[in-house]
Amino acid sequence: MIKVRFHGRGGQGMKTSSRILGTAAFLSGFFVQDFPIYGAERRGAPVVAFTIISKEPILERGYIFDPNILLISDETLLLDKQTDPTKGMSKESIVFINSNKNEDYFKEKIGAKVIVEDLTKIALEVLGRPILSTLIAGVAAKLVGIEQKYLEEAVKEELEQIGANEEMIRKNILAATIGYNKVQEVKIEQTESLEPEVKVVEVEYNDPEISTPVISFVANSYLKKTGTWRVFKPIIKYQKCKSCRLCYVYCPESAIKWENNFPVIDYENCKGCLICVQECPLKAIEIVREGE
Amino acid sequence: MKKLMTGNEAAAWGARLAEVDYIPNFPITPQTEIIETLSKWIREGEMKAVFRTMDSEHSMLTAAGSASATGARVFTATSSQGLLYAFEMLYNLSGWRVPVVMVNVSRGLSAPITLEPDHNDILSARDSGFLQIHCETAQEILDSILVAYKISEDKRVMLPTIVNFDGFYLSFTREIVDVPKLEDVRKFLPEYKPTHTFFKASKPLAQGTPVLNSSLYSYFRYQVHRAMENALDVYKEVKEEFNKKFGRPIDEVETYMMDDAEYALLMTNSFSTKGKKAVIKMREKKINVGLIKLRLFRPFPTKELMKQTRGLKGLAIIDQNISPGKGGVIYSEVSSELYNYEEKPKVITSFIGGLGGKNISETEFEFAINYTRKVYEERTTLRVPILLFTEEDKKTSKTLIDIAHGGEKNEA
Repeated sequence: MIKVRFHGRGGQGMKTSSRILGTAAFLSGFFVQDFPIYGAERRGAPVVAFTIISKEPILERGYIFDPNILLISDETLLLDKQTDPTKGMSKESIVFINSNKNEDYFKEKIGAKVIVEDLTKIALEVLGRPILSTLIAGVAAKLVGIEQKYLEEAVKEELEQIGANEEMIRKNILAATIGYNKVQEVKIEQTESLEPEVKVVEVEYNDPEISTPVISFVANSYLKKTGTWRVFKPIIKYQKCKSCRLCYVYCPESAIKWENNFPVIDYENCKGCLICVQECPLKAIEIVREGE
Repeated sequence: MKKLMTGNEAAAWGARLAEVDYIPNFPITPQTEIIETLSKWIREGEMKAVFRTMDSEHSMLTAAGSASATGARVFTATSSQGLLYAFEMLYNLSGWRVPVVMVNVSRGLSAPITLEPDHNDILSARDSGFLQIHCETAQEILDSILVAYKISEDKRVMLPTIVNFDGFYLSFTREIVDVPKLEDVRKFLPEYKPTHTFFKASKPLAQGTPVLNSSLYSYFRYQVHRAMENALDVYKEVKEEFNKKFGRPIDEVETYMMDDAEYALLMTNSFSTKGKKAVIKMREKKINVGLIKLRLFRPFPTKELMKQTRGLKGLAIIDQNISPGKGGVIYSEVSSELYNYEEKPKVITSFIGGLGGKNISETEFEFAINYTRKVYEERTTLRVPILLFTEEDKKTSKTLIDIAHGGEKNEA
């Protein structure tokens, strides 16, 4: 049995990746399960998806605690304590990270078999958008040893279902193939299930101040640095800025402050939606890919 | 002060004496008289409260919960279809832990549509996290509303309560009610001082926030159960204080002629009165029978019930409701709670009666007890549930169906 866990952000296409891998494995004749978890659907919010491939019927449901393969489509998720994408990883697990950093950077931090590729760059070149579903699916299919023809068939089938046109399907099959050829098939070490043993405890009554869904601490959202969600970073060119305040007004996250009569972007909270870039009448805001 | 009043008026008096702040409302038969009475008092200056007629029961209950979340004492009332229309908000209010008191005037559910009572409406709210107190008399309605606020607003509980009573047979029935003095009620039920639900601009608070985390969700919903368990203890304290102040017992489980009883009827709500009369008739025939009335339905008073049913030869449960494909809801509840109790009744039988307000006659009560005796004495196979439906009922139904199909000439 091979357990694959996909970590990404809403809009990157991790659910589709897990489905493409699932379909490809199904077409190859395996027993398959795939499944996504996401909260209120928001672009940029953490998403987890799973694919289980097996020669035997699958007795699993829900979260995969002990993945053989981890695919992390956004390195900033490694900083997200709630998502904790390397949770349940063993020494035998294979970790694929989409990043423009090198492998050594992650090896020290993760301490497992790490493969790093800059898939976002390829996505921008091939698809024109930072959508990674088919690229990641290609990587995953190769890692688990699925034949390329089944991958291509699965990409077609899945994208047709979400209404993609022929051109998009062609480009995505190309993307999947590039992802497929970026990596080598790996040997999956079969390990004992790592689902942690737990202790059942009593839950006592607590006073309603504690035991109701109430938030009394004001503005606690600053603990979540949504600035990690960016793929692209807006940068204000102050020599062009005439202090018209349009970017300040339009920013849906209130992530543009007004200081000394000029806008200042709060990069800890800017999600990189680029509405400011669209609205600036003087084209005084430039776009730079994150990490470059 | 004793007054002659309907069950609905008794409910209005309960809200008036509790000095509620806010009454979001929506009319529905047979409840409307409650809100009409309150609106009249408010208009004439006899009562001070904000009275708002909403666009539906769903909005009404949302408004009730929200107002309660700001620290107001809130009263509202509905019935049947209205309760079902507001259904999702029931679970919200218990999750918000707001001590709203709502009256439900029981009425059979559509389809076919009817106006007369049975308990499928109120029992559908069984798992919502509302406390449920079921009433037999107009006096109990008034008393239960006062008791309900006292329990709901207790820090150990902080859950909403539904006070339930039958449409028509209690809602429109006038009987004598002892109305307590306002100053006595104030001593029993002081002003509501919320600890976690309040509205202060200086201290902002987000209530009823979403929880997209299964551990935390489990914790919060289980806390509702824990609060319900606490409510059993709080009910005991409150009923003692109430009895001391007003001289009326309001036990979780009421018993009637149970001292030497070998068999018992178990019932809820207004038809219990009919059951009591049937018990007297059976006693005259030397049948050792009594009646157990379940007043508190949520939290379920298991220990009290064990005590009152201990060692019985047979317990006949009359359910004025039907869960199609299963049977009586109260039968399921009582049986499951008594199953692990060593001194449980030897036989528990199940009867469905009074659907849509259909009468339950003395003969039918006697039939239920006789059937229970037969099962106990002859160890005959138990059939559950048995519908209390008479030859006359069958004849009436046939006549009406024949008329509906144009065949009135066929039937006398």
